Amino acid sequence: MNFSNASLLQLAIVTPLGAALVIALGLPKRFATKLAAAAFALPALIALWLWSQFPAEGAQNYQFLSSLDTGLASFGISLKLGLNGIALPMFHLAAIVGLAAGLYALRSSAERLKTYLVLLLVMHGGLLGVFASVDIFFFYFFHELALIPTFIMVGIWGGRDRNYAAMKMTIYLTVGAMLSLIGLIAIYVKSDASTFDLIELKRAIAVQGIGAATQNNIFGVLMFGFGILVSLWPLHTWAPLGYGAAPSSAAMLHAGVLKKFGLYGLIQIAVPLLPEGAAHWAWKLALLASLGNVLVIGFVTMAQRDLKQMLGYSSVMHMGYCFLGIAALSTIGTGGVVLLMVAHGLSVALLFLLATSIHHRTHTFDMSEMGGLAQKTPVLAAFFVAGTMASIGLPGFANFWGELTVFVALWNFSPWITAVAVAGVVISAIYGLRSAAWVFFGQPTEALQRVTAAHPPADLDWYERLPALILLAALLFFGFYPKAISQPVDQALTSTVARTAPVSFQR
Amino acid sequence: MTMLQHAILLLILPLVSAAVIALFLRKRGALASYVSTITAGLIAAISIILLLHGERNFPNASWEWLRFGDFTISLGIKFDDLAALMLFIVGFVGFLIHVFSLGYMHDDAARARFFGGLSIFMFSMLGIVLADNLFMIFIFWELVGFSSWLLINHYHHKQSAADASKKAFIVNRVGDFGFLFGIIMCYWLNGTVSFSELADKAEHGQLVFSTLIPLLLFCGAVGKSAQMPLQVWLPDAMEGPTPVSALIHAATMVAAGIFMLCRINVLMVPAALNVIMWVGTITALYAALCAITQRDIKKVLAYSTLSQLGYMVAAFGLGSTATYELIDLPTNVVAAGVGAAMFHLTTHAFFKALMFLGSGSVIHGCHHEQDIFKMGGLMKKMPVTFWTFTIGVLAIIGMPFLAGFFSKDAILYLAMEKNSAVFAILALTAVLTSFYMVRLWKITFLGEARSDDAKHAHESGLVMTLPLIILAVLSVVGGYSGVFGKLAGSIAELVPEAHGSNHTIILLVSLAVMTIGAGSAWFFYKASANDTLEEKSPSLFRLLGWLKESFDRLYNYYVAKVQQRFAMLLNFLERVFLADTIIGGLGRMVGLVGLGARALYTGSLHTYVYWFLLGAVVLWAFAAGIF
Repeated sequence: MNFSNASLLQLAIVTPLGAALVIALGLPKRFATKLAAAAFALPALIALWLWSQFPAEGAQNYQFLSSLDTGLASFGISLKLGLNGIALPMFHLAAIVGLAAGLYALRSSAERLKTYLVLLLVMHGGLLGVFASVDIFFFYFFHELALIPTFIMVGIWGGRDRNYAAMKMTIYLTVGAMLSLIGLIAIYVKSDASTFDLIELKRAIAVQGIGAATQNNIFGVLMFGFGILVSLWPLHTWAPLGYGAAPSSAAMLHAGVLKKFGLYGLIQIAVPLLPEGAAHWAWKLALLASLGNVLVIGFVTMAQRDLKQMLGYSSVMHMGYCFLGIAALSTIGTGGVVLLMVAHGLSVALLFLLATSIHHRTHTFDMSEMGGLAQKTPVLAAFFVAGTMASIGLPGFANFWGELTVFVALWNFSPWITAVAVAGVVISAIYGLRSAAWVFFGQPTEALQRVTAAHPPADLDWYERLPALILLAALLFFGFYPKAISQPVDQALTSTVARTAPVSFQR
Repeated sequence: MTMLQHAILLLILPLVSAAVIALFLRKRGALASYVSTITAGLIAAISIILLLHGERNFPNASWEWLRFGDFTISLGIKFDDLAALMLFIVGFVGFLIHVFSLGYMHDDAARARFFGGLSIFMFSMLGIVLADNLFMIFIFWELVGFSSWLLINHYHHKQSAADASKKAFIVNRVGDFGFLFGIIMCYWLNGTVSFSELADKAEHGQLVFSTLIPLLLFCGAVGKSAQMPLQVWLPDAMEGPTPVSALIHAATMVAAGIFMLCRINVLMVPAALNVIMWVGTITALYAALCAITQRDIKKVLAYSTLSQLGYMVAAFGLGSTATYELIDLPTNVVAAGVGAAMFHLTTHAFFKALMFLGSGSVIHGCHHEQDIFKMGGLMKKMPVTFWTFTIGVLAIIGMPFLAGFFSKDAILYLAMEKNSAVFAILALTAVLTSFYMVRLWKITFLGEARSDDAKHAHESGLVMTLPLIILAVLSVVGGYSGVFGKLAGSIAELVPEAHGSNHTIILLVSLAVMTIGAGSAWFFYKASANDTLEEKSPSLFRLLGWLKESFDRLYNYYVAKVQQRFAMLLNFLERVFLADTIIGGLGRMVGLVGLGARALYTGSLHTYVYWFLLGAVVLWAFAAGIF
């Protein structure tokens, strides 16, 4: 255990929460924005440092471990933090997207900017905590900490239909979270380990095991609970609506990072602890994800005219690939999901950011009322095209590796499901390129000409460009060097997952 | 520097050039064009060094890029005679087209984007050429698709260009669907996708043969090389600037499909080759028929490219005259027609790039007029373009002693030996080829100028004519064994050669088809403002036009009436049923059954949450099979 690195990890989580507290206590606005900027930047720097400290080999277990007694030790709960190979990339995703969303929010024209920043900082702190938690209780606690500000932000700063969207999002996500909690508590009860510590739980279950029927039931609860949070078809309808209404930074953080909580829970907790349950549910999950998320939602995405709704639906579709990778129950599939989660988080955050930037220039989200914007704003067009290409899985961007490895893994599960999943690549190319063409190419529509005559659009300024550049650079970095993710993930998978799973995790 | 380092440098150079242009030279078009062109020059030089140096199959030229469990994806370099030949074509022709573009794109406002795009394209194309496994080829395969999209969309303010680029990308993705599926299948059945390991396994009889694998992989070639039924994107792709059409849509990228097939020839089985042969043959004939009625100089060339690509694919499918047999194999191993296909690919790259650049010079000279019936009389005004273009035409129609003559004869001879039906169709295609080519040539260059633009046409500058002259020289000498043998090494030995009486027959057939086609076009067409065929036989003209339109109509119908309506229908169902009725209703239903209806209408958010929770639990219990 490296003490200093462990405390850096704690510092990364405490910084945004602390900054939120200070700002909430009444820091003047001009200091508040500076403090917020620092609080968004520091975790990203720490994350980079921890990455460099993560051992390239032999890191099967959690690194940077630390444990704090919170007075709940008698319930088997303690604030235990650490990162394993799967948590490390996710922690980075949270740090990078949080930084980008924060930088973008600093200049937003939102009313009550300080409250907005406080909520965003709390959300950021919660997200970092989720992926750094080794204790299942705190894993859940940090998720709630990040989730509640989302509802408030949608309700206050949301766009069209914000009340309905906020209510629907709250209902769905609360239910999802409750189901997950039930499942997690069931694991705690059935394992007889009297601890929420994931490492201890794994050890206890490896010795005793949980009965197959119990595993099936618990995994089912977790699958639907986490499934709602990740927008598993047909429990996804909150997502396009919620993202359509959410303010950009909240949408970036939720779609980019918080949504991955469910997938992360499945990979890190449900599948390794309940392998037989996972095998029992794999086919059902794969069918829902391939026919529902990929195929049906793929077509639904094609029918969208509203840019943000389109992005929301495309995000639901890409979650289908993540579920499929998990259903494949193999090292390749699970590794592919981690890659895809990071990649999708970066690309969807980039696209939500740019959607807002487009809105500032066109005063609409309706793509059929745009066109020809590339002539006025070439840099914005270039970023949007890059984001689109990333999200439809062009090589050179991180998403490609995730999709490719998931497809490869799926073959062993079922070639037919693979065929459906690969067909999704054509569908996403259709809606992705079409949206880019609608917004940026050809000649502007009359509606847009009226808007641009009144407000001549400027190209992307530096306050929009910097966060976009951070996200794009990360996408390209992982796209050219996927090993940065696959190396730690592979170490974690081949050791912990492969040992506990009765299903073959090696191919 | 070792040869391996040279090869790695080949990949890094254009990537750096593209990055530098994108980051720093966005507003400095002139500088960007020089950076890109100098890079292309270095690439050409390095490819010639690699070609001449003679070192092949570098050891330890593969690097692990990603690993999960025992699944790895590697990037590596496979440099054999096939790669060396393709590398020379891409590097050298690519460089000439860069130089030409310096002149052609001189006044373009978005020059930096154009040359940056060319650099990305060079990077992607070189990646395909040097790839040592199928995953790597797929990566760069997608990237050439992207660069093609970028460059077709160069005039993005034109709706037609935006549509054409989108169409090209999506149609290619349809082909890639099969390609990727085939790669994954090959990986799981054979345990490897490395070309060397596959060849090794084939040699030891350990390869799992399946008709499906080569056919799925061929889907990729069908998309990229625009074979039927995915040929529709290539004619539309002419919306891009003319140098792009020459580089990407004539000489290199569209030929990548044939190159890829040659790479995976060990996986071929007779049934698959048969399908490939027929797809190529039918494409060759269909595209030649479409070319006859075109008015746009680039569209004629585009259909001609389709037709010639069909020739190459057919040649590959026909197989080789040299049969080799391996012992202990479940199926008869057949050698694919690598030699003839690559031979025609090479000569075609020279003469088709020449003609596209020639058409670019014409379009440039005529102030961006592309309708051949509005040209005419350019022979005197643009002598260099005229004479080089004439050499290109002679080469493609198979004039003896020019490059196309040898490569086309090799394919015809192969067809004669293997399959007489294919032979007949390919011979007919050759007649049509000389027919539409002479038509194009006569109407464009001879007679009187038929528009103001043509009257004021001027010869292009040296920077544009010099590439034409060099390509013209290659179009003359490229077919001789002294040249092609040097370029292709062992590939040249695979080219089928007719001997004795067969030689005479092929020579006579070849001369006959050329003379019939060219002669009838020469006497039939008048260099006038109207299409003679349209005047003399409107019904035939309409029939050919319908033939060309039919595919586009069918696909447009599918996209607009089937696909989009299906999407709208699902969207409707999504909104009505899923959004509120089913999920919300399930909760309500459970509420009704369990606790009576009244509790439901409390209007409180909490109650709603709990009903919903209950509904979800019931849903789960149902799915889990509890009741």
